[in-house]
Amino acid sequence: MKNLTLVVMLLCYSFASSSGDSTIHTNNWAVLVCTSRFWFNYRHMANTLSLYRTVKRLGIPDERIILMLADDMACNSRNQYPAQVFNNENHQINLYGDNVEVDYRGYEVTVENFLRVLTGRHENAVPRSKRLLSDEGSHILLYMTGHGGDEFLKFQDAEELQSHDLADAVKQMKEKRRFKELLIMVDTCQAATLFNQLQSPGVLAIGSSLKGENSYSHHLDSDIGVSVVDRFTYYTLAFFERLNIYDNASLNSLFRSYDPRQLMSTAYYRTDLYQPHLSEVPVTNFFGSVMETIHTDSAYHAFSSRISNSKIKSDTPFNQPFNQLSEQDVKEDLQNTNNQNDELKTEKQKCPYSEMRADLHEKLKKIENVDTMVNLSIAVMILVVMVSSSLL
Amino acid sequence: MEETSDHPNPTTSTPGTTPEPDPKTMRSSKPGLKRLLITTTVLFSFLSGLPFLWKSVEIYRSQLPFHDIDSLSDQIKSTPLRFPCTFHALFIGFRSNDPDQLRSEIQDGVNQLTGESSQCGSCNVSISVTVQSPDELCSETFPSTCSYRCGVIKRDAFGGGLDDEVDESLDDVFGGCSGGIGKMYSVVVVNKEEGDGGDEVKAVVGKRRHAWIVGSGLEERYGEVVGRVSEVFVKVFMNGGREEGDSIRGEFMPVGSDGRLVLSFSLLNSNPRDWIYDWDFQRIDEGLLAPVTKALAPIADISVESQVLYHTPKSSFSSWDEKLQSYIFRTSDLPFFVNSNEWHLDTSAGASGRSKILQFVVYIPSGKECPLHLQLPNGEISKTNGFISPMWGSVIVWNPRNCDKDSESPSRNMISPQDLEQIVEVFLGQFRQLFGFKSEAIYTSELGSYKILPSERGFTEWELDVLSRKHTCFNLHSCATTLGSLSRLVQSLPRMIIKDEIGEQVKYSLKAAKLAQSNASLGGYSSSASSSREARSLAENAFFHPSIMSVSYFSYEHCFAVYSPFFLPVAGHVVLAALREWKRYKQEKAKYLTWLTRKKTA
Repeated sequence: MKNLTLVVMLLCYSFASSSGDSTIHTNNWAVLVCTSRFWFNYRHMANTLSLYRTVKRLGIPDERIILMLADDMACNSRNQYPAQVFNNENHQINLYGDNVEVDYRGYEVTVENFLRVLTGRHENAVPRSKRLLSDEGSHILLYMTGHGGDEFLKFQDAEELQSHDLADAVKQMKEKRRFKELLIMVDTCQAATLFNQLQSPGVLAIGSSLKGENSYSHHLDSDIGVSVVDRFTYYTLAFFERLNIYDNASLNSLFRSYDPRQLMSTAYYRTDLYQPHLSEVPVTNFFGSVMETIHTDSAYHAFSSRISNSKIKSDTPFNQPFNQLSEQDVKEDLQNTNNQNDELKTEKQKCPYSEMRADLHEKLKKIENVDTMVNLSIAVMILVVMVSSSLL
Repeated sequence: MEETSDHPNPTTSTPGTTPEPDPKTMRSSKPGLKRLLITTTVLFSFLSGLPFLWKSVEIYRSQLPFHDIDSLSDQIKSTPLRFPCTFHALFIGFRSNDPDQLRSEIQDGVNQLTGESSQCGSCNVSISVTVQSPDELCSETFPSTCSYRCGVIKRDAFGGGLDDEVDESLDDVFGGCSGGIGKMYSVVVVNKEEGDGGDEVKAVVGKRRHAWIVGSGLEERYGEVVGRVSEVFVKVFMNGGREEGDSIRGEFMPVGSDGRLVLSFSLLNSNPRDWIYDWDFQRIDEGLLAPVTKALAPIADISVESQVLYHTPKSSFSSWDEKLQSYIFRTSDLPFFVNSNEWHLDTSAGASGRSKILQFVVYIPSGKECPLHLQLPNGEISKTNGFISPMWGSVIVWNPRNCDKDSESPSRNMISPQDLEQIVEVFLGQFRQLFGFKSEAIYTSELGSYKILPSERGFTEWELDVLSRKHTCFNLHSCATTLGSLSRLVQSLPRMIIKDEIGEQVKYSLKAAKLAQSNASLGGYSSSASSSREARSLAENAFFHPSIMSVSYFSYEHCFAVYSPFFLPVAGHVVLAALREWKRYKQEKAKYLTWLTRKKTA
């Protein structure tokens, strides 16, 4: 009876572990999408770039960030400060300064490319930096900002992403085990409707406003002439300003820090698909970099035993007490193993052409001064040409 | 065309006959069929063209073998894959033991250690025992799987040389054994004469598939010997010396989904203003790494790249320790050691989208932090100065010989071949760790410790067998789930185009999976590993085919919206005309019939 319960428990454990509940958290990814273009949507690009900077400062490297921007602000002819993008009217941080790696820019930011990034179905020629190469232990942060509405998000004024498309893509990601946990942050009008249709486990979603509410911008920069940041993102950044790479503030404190009166909308989050308690999940689980490390205890001394190996074929400890017959047998065995190991070499020896080539190659390698030989051969060739032309 | 409707002129009626028939209710001539025929012919031609239109608008879907995919998934879930293994135990110098009894005891020990559950990748065990008495008479269990010639191994002369020599000679002795199906693993237990070195029991596991336990007075400690033999069989040969032999964890299987693995080596000079180091990587690659790559060929297609980077500081901090006279960083700093902002490691040109890249970093600290050592939580200094991160790679911190730098120009140095060899040894230990093995060559249990001989290829042959088995299991499981997801996805979108290419890849993937299963049952570990790898990569190719995008499939509404402006107006007119003609014909026919009856009665 005890064996049976043990068996059942072992089977359950192996089944559960094979379904991924016990996979360890290996790395963090971030997919940051700005879905608008044109000058008056400056604040959306500033939102995305500020979050990009935050996530990089907390440790996620460029190779694990997919940044999709229309990227038409910094060099826009209306920009008073060329090649600079600010998210505050005090102009303290230039978000576009250096070390910004945009993966999809301009007209590449389409619904199709976005869904391809999420599901992983790219053409063969798409480079690795444009792919979401997450594995089953990855935590992914998906941040989207732009103009949105009831169950849709507008992409670059030409298309829209519907909530069921997003839910479908997330379902396929979960089936193919492309993430362990996913945090979706949406900063648009009526953002919470975008994740109405989600059903996959392990997904946490927060939107900046409920259905019927708008999300507002924070302040207008009179120098640049447009609003430079949205309220939801502004308060998110304010939270992260107080954080550094060693902190472990929880997600609960982040979500609680949104004040509906300051935001002028209700930041709604959905936790029914997410199992762990929010107060126990550190923010760096999604926003920072985690590397699980294991110390290497010792080196693998494969090469210190090399010297002794060369002596083996000559005398084995069994050879001495043998009688004649078995000695021959052992020697034959040795020869057989040698033959098996040198099969490739004997095959090469059978072919005289390749043997000749190998000899020539070795001879050429031994020549030290290649230059003089080349010069000599050129001189010989000129001589031959002169002689033959004079003969004609 | 002549009018076939007759409207008899009321004024030309002959006088004296019956009053003229009312043209609205009667007619004297049979109504013609021409008009009706024309309109119905046109309608009929429309209707007959409809199936052709439907066929031309049909979404092309290549037929996927859903039934086969489901049966593969069920098969893999229900019966975990087991491989046949043969265990052979050879007892030398034991006087009074019955081989059959020994076999049953070893079988009990093995069963106890494996438990009743059978995981994927475990062995279907068949055990055989041979006992050689001190007078060199042999008795063995029936049927004998190995033709071991009695007396070849002498109990006195055994273990006299180096362990490597003993291993090679054991291989010669057992080399002639066919071992039935599956590979044969053997343990030789030698009971030496008394007084030959005390009570020490030495246990060594070789590079091939043999192990030996040497000691004196072993006949008295009979239970312990049987326990150690079963431990070698199960814990070492079957599970590879790994603790978690149960579940197959994906984080220690760093092979990409297309079966390829790229090893990317980087030498990081953190401050080239202090010193610059370079290495002769070609030599390492050809001499030291090529055997490892070749040994792992059935499991992954490995390619190697290298680069040297400059100005790559690390992002964690270290502190000066006066007692140890060096800079110290702790294990708590390790997660923050890799400075991904400045270390541009992922610059591989050769890796395709689905290969796995492992980064191997050799970090040379700057003059301000030289020498840099890793301190473990128990206060000791690490011997290797290195660590791994599963599925990412590993880092080794290598300190230059002398930490004084020339104040003038930075010195350019090459890392010496001896140092390079040491670095590669640490790297081999880390590579083994990334695959789930231990980096050190020793296995300890309650009964004792077993020395494991290190192999030049990075993995011993029995470790390669364990890898092949585990990877076969993982690949087949992954292939089955991928194909299952694909079939569910395809069935849920009935109007999505499925190209021929996808159908073919699915077919070949199923074929490779069947081949892997049959190879596994025949005992070919490496052949089953390579065919399972192929099955997995084909399944992933089919699932990630770029044409399966739900955004671009044609729903019924779309089809209707596209074709209705062409056909609806014309079809409306044709149908209306036919109906109208049919109604008119019936009316005229009724009129004619009433006139006929009137004529008859008159």
